[in-house]
Amino acid sequence: MNLIERLSHLDRRVIFLLVAFAVVIPMLQPIGLPIDITKPVKKVYDKIESLAPGSIVLLSTDFDPGSEAELYPATEAIIEHCFRKNLKIYVMGLWPAGSDLGNLALNKIAPRYNKNYGTDYINVGYRPGGAVMLLSLGKNFGDIIKVDYQGTPIDLLELGRAVKSSKNLGLVMTLSAGDPGILHWIIYFHARYGVPICGATTAIMAPQQYTYLGSGQLVGLLGGLKGAAEYEVLVNRKGRASIGMDSQSIVHVLLVIFILLGNIILLHQKGKR
Amino acid sequence: MKRTLPLIIVAGSGFFMLVAFFIPSKFFQDTSQTFQNWYIGVAAFFVFIGILNLVKINIEKIQRKLRDWRYCYILLFFLAFTMATGFIQGREGKAFLYMFYNFQTPLGATMFSLLAFFMASATFRAFRAKTPEATILLIAALLVMLGRIPVGYWIWHNYPDLVEWIMTGPNTAAKRGILFGIDLGLISMALRVLLGIERSYMGGGGE
Amino acid sequence: MIFQTIGIWIAALLTLAIYSFLYKDNPFYKIAEYIFVGVSAGYWAVVLWFDFAWPNLFAPLIKQQNFFYLLPIIIGLMMFAPLIPKISWLVRIPLTFTMGVAMALQITQITQGDIFPQLQATFLPFKGVNVYTSITNLIIVIGVITTLIYFYFSKEHKGPLGLAAKIGIWFMMVSFGASFGYTVMARISLFIGRVYFLLHEWLRAI
Repeated sequence: MNLIERLSHLDRRVIFLLVAFAVVIPMLQPIGLPIDITKPVKKVYDKIESLAPGSIVLLSTDFDPGSEAELYPATEAIIEHCFRKNLKIYVMGLWPAGSDLGNLALNKIAPRYNKNYGTDYINVGYRPGGAVMLLSLGKNFGDIIKVDYQGTPIDLLELGRAVKSSKNLGLVMTLSAGDPGILHWIIYFHARYGVPICGATTAIMAPQQYTYLGSGQLVGLLGGLKGAAEYEVLVNRKGRASIGMDSQSIVHVLLVIFILLGNIILLHQKGKR
Repeated sequence: MKRTLPLIIVAGSGFFMLVAFFIPSKFFQDTSQTFQNWYIGVAAFFVFIGILNLVKINIEKIQRKLRDWRYCYILLFFLAFTMATGFIQGREGKAFLYMFYNFQTPLGATMFSLLAFFMASATFRAFRAKTPEATILLIAALLVMLGRIPVGYWIWHNYPDLVEWIMTGPNTAAKRGILFGIDLGLISMALRVLLGIERSYMGGGGE
Repeated sequence: MIFQTIGIWIAALLTLAIYSFLYKDNPFYKIAEYIFVGVSAGYWAVVLWFDFAWPNLFAPLIKQQNFFYLLPIIIGLMMFAPLIPKISWLVRIPLTFTMGVAMALQITQITQGDIFPQLQATFLPFKGVNVYTSITNLIIVIGVITTLIYFYFSKEHKGPLGLAAKIGIWFMMVSFGASFGYTVMARISLFIGRVYFLLHEWLRAI
């Protein structure tokens, strides 16, 4: 059996091992490849930069632990940028686990900027109802949100009182892993109330968002871990996303080699026939 | 009655909401807002019924000693324990959040990360340029895979711009065309539901 | 501090238990899998109750005697009707109500929020812009039209229609290839996240 035939019968556990090494080794021995900044990510950065201090950013954490690896680094980077600009952050989640993951980031970053809960940021927890809820929310926040995630009546919190409807929001930043998520914010909330939307999505969802970037319905987009890494560079933050980029690069090169090898095997098999 | 009443409800609530979109009068706006608020309230119960169903299925699995029935005890124990910590200590209770951050988060993240390996294996075994269309797909995939990572920028500084053009040009065009098709399909499906032609969502219930 | 360390070890061992599946299916993987489902379901129930069901539905009814909230609760409770075979048909009421509202809003919002803006965005200029933009705009317009033509099955794809459909397929292949590239990126990123946790938080190697 020649090499090509042996490769065509390669045990998939060998492939698994190669992928594991391709991720682990660059993390232990970083290469330091430069991270370029793409236009959609720069647009998110510029949009947040353009907001006046005191503006309210609604941060919708629409993801769960299954997509935490891609979206949590973006969450931290966005929160850090907002606090640096003295913007106020209103966190909610269209997914149940989203608000607790948002909390993790807030509790980590807020103390560094001396930000206070209730005045500079709040978390109103999980909001079920998807698209229908968003339509009601934009009209009157009080109809939908009665308490924050700790059960405190929303009117007792300064930032809670400040947000009555979509008119009080400067920007909606959605960190979205699926449905309900960015599409609902665009089609239901932005279309009805006109609040600008920026998004961070998993890489799987990113190609679809280019139609909304093109139409202007979406201001900017952080696509996947690479998008989060670009944002970390823009806000000058060494986070998980930037650290993972070397591994991402090496694995992609490995997979390209796999694809090319697979097609060489195909050509060889065709030639034999 | 068992069929007629639900059909009246779907048509009534649906067409009222449709009409209310175009009529700015207080009655229509307030009533449609009320319907929306009720919708959100009712939607919450879908999750509760889902959890009840999960418990029911696992208890049945134990009773009938189906495959892997012993593991169902683990599921039910952790379900009960997590709910107990949450309802006793509250939403922000230490034990409840401990379960979330040290059990649910790592397990959820790891479950989905398994796909990385299977995708790598599939890439090697199945991604073959057997037809001209498959070749176009393969070339586009290779370009994007290398161009979207720091290695692409390192190879050629304008490589990311090429990928960006692929995404904003041909990709946007195709996705938009598909989007129109999906949207028109969704609208036609919605109309079928409102008119009572499509009833599969009603499920069981006797008739 | 000790609880935090124990928590990290629990998370790490559960992570490795899941990854053991890559070698072959085994009891450790199954235990971890069932723990995941149990904890997730329990978490959902608690979060839904405290974040929404109690403050938005039951508290106004019980504490403020606001009977306005009685109807959605009754409709919602009908979701449990299948547990009693005699009245199982009542489950259709909440299902049809929610479907009616959601479908109506879908019709209006998809038209207002998706179709019209996307149509508008497809009317792109070829003149008065630079060459690069002009070519890109032309490609987008051709791509959208040919993709839509591909999905027109009322006439056989022959002659000019067949050629247009073929061009549409090429555009879709480029799009699917790009999506595949991004999918690869997504999946690998998830694994990178776990490796970072194991190396940084558990083993403290980075």
